[in-house]
Amino acid sequence: MNFWFAVIRQTGRNLRQTWSSQFMTFLTVSLSVLIFAFFSLIYTNMLGAGDRLTDDLSLIVYLQEEPGLAMKEQLRRKILAFDEVEELRFVSRTEAYERFAKQLGKDSDVLLDMPTDFLPASIEIVPLRSLRGYSQIKLFSEYLSSLPGTEKVQYGQEWIERFYHFVRLLTIVVVLSGTLLILTATFMVAYTIRLTILGRQDELELLKLVGATTSYIQTPFLIEGILQGLLGSIIGLLALYGLFQWISTRFTGPGILNFFQFDFFSPFILIAIVVASISLCALGSYTSIRKFLLI
Amino acid sequence: METQENTTQQELSGNNMIEMIKVSRSYPPDIHALSDISFHVETGEMFFLIGRSGAGKTTLLKLICNMEMPSNGLIEVAGYNINNLKGKDLALLRQRIGVAYQDFKLLNDRTVAENIAIAMEVSYKKPRAIKQRVRDLLDQLQLSSKHDLLTGELSRGEQQRVALARSVANSPRLILVDEPTGNLDSTTTEKVMDLLTRSNKAGATVVIATHDASIYQNSNNRILELREGMLHSLIRGNEI
Repeated sequence: MNFWFAVIRQTGRNLRQTWSSQFMTFLTVSLSVLIFAFFSLIYTNMLGAGDRLTDDLSLIVYLQEEPGLAMKEQLRRKILAFDEVEELRFVSRTEAYERFAKQLGKDSDVLLDMPTDFLPASIEIVPLRSLRGYSQIKLFSEYLSSLPGTEKVQYGQEWIERFYHFVRLLTIVVVLSGTLLILTATFMVAYTIRLTILGRQDELELLKLVGATTSYIQTPFLIEGILQGLLGSIIGLLALYGLFQWISTRFTGPGILNFFQFDFFSPFILIAIVVASISLCALGSYTSIRKFLLI
Repeated sequence: METQENTTQQELSGNNMIEMIKVSRSYPPDIHALSDISFHVETGEMFFLIGRSGAGKTTLLKLICNMEMPSNGLIEVAGYNINNLKGKDLALLRQRIGVAYQDFKLLNDRTVAENIAIAMEVSYKKPRAIKQRVRDLLDQLQLSSKHDLLTGELSRGEQQRVALARSVANSPRLILVDEPTGNLDSTTTEKVMDLLTRSNKAGATVVIATHDASIYQNSNNRILELREGMLHSLIRGNEI
């Protein structure tokens, strides 16, 4: 019989003897992983949606007057002085009128009595991808508003503002829930191992007296923690996948979820969650071993 | 690990298995359980510790197996200062020492067989060898029918024999036994002494703490008598 065989058998014994508290801990770990992963999944999908939203982002600067060539050059220089942009295009009053008429299509008759210069001239700016964060766009927009001859700057402020506030709120929820759930899971595992140790003091003392090595006594408790982390995270993630599938099939069609293109975690993230869960549960187990297993 | 085990065995084959020099043990506030005890036990010897209840026999056994630390003095077991051993070294030495405690230290929620097997499991004996050894021991101690019973369901005399079986199970080089016949009738006492004598003949050093004169009288073994924590006499059984 080798060390690992003996240790695994001892672990099996421990689990059999304390199965009810072990089961409760396992449920706690699973639920913690499920809740945390659920919020993380929404969060990552929101970030993805945010990226997609900003793909089509452009700022429109409405001007008080039609700029001349020299003015155009001046404005271009001023804008580029703030930062590089992906695209910068001047739209004259006439061009704006033609675009509008085209958009109206068959109904363009309504414009017949209107002068061709009733729409303001504007500058359309597509910022660089690296400059599409909410605060950066806001700063850029403020800068553009301060340029001479600017009437108004538009980029769908309200919608983007609300979206980014939601994402910020979600970040807080994910971080808070993550921290609390990590603490809960670690504490529960530590507490269960502590109960097991305290409930088996006689056996542990006997093992010590008959010559069991420290690793022979400690390793089963560590394995218990690792198993809690492994099984708890796998079951938690499986439950999340079930929930994800249910949501995906239930909410297919032209809804908001389609717009957001709801994706599940990548294999890398899944492995990272399992590894993190194992590490935290092993840590909880280890602290109990260090504190209560006086050998 | 094999090398370490060999080393331990080599050390265990030295001349004196136990060496005690001026050993004292006190408990707060002012209880002197043992005072200035000096003696040795040779390798392969069967040695008796006698004395009335409270004389210090159990304390002496606990000091030898490092369950307790002496307040003063030196204790060597198999050439090692046992109080300096720690971790794996101490564990390996303990695997070579079998102890039958006065309070048995049995796990009452485990079967008789499991209780005996523990001593062999910690030194990674093969499961088949463990099973066979457990059956042999239970047979020798007339406990075969109790193999699968929980030790909590046994009488004190039976529990005592299970504790004794566990102490000899791993074929230790040193066996410490505390009152092995306290709860037994004369026939079972004989069986227990047979088992200990067989282990002794197989090379194990056996130290028995007892106040049952019938098991040491008329023997040629050395007997150390303790009185109120002090060494009173060290004689041979047939000199009584």
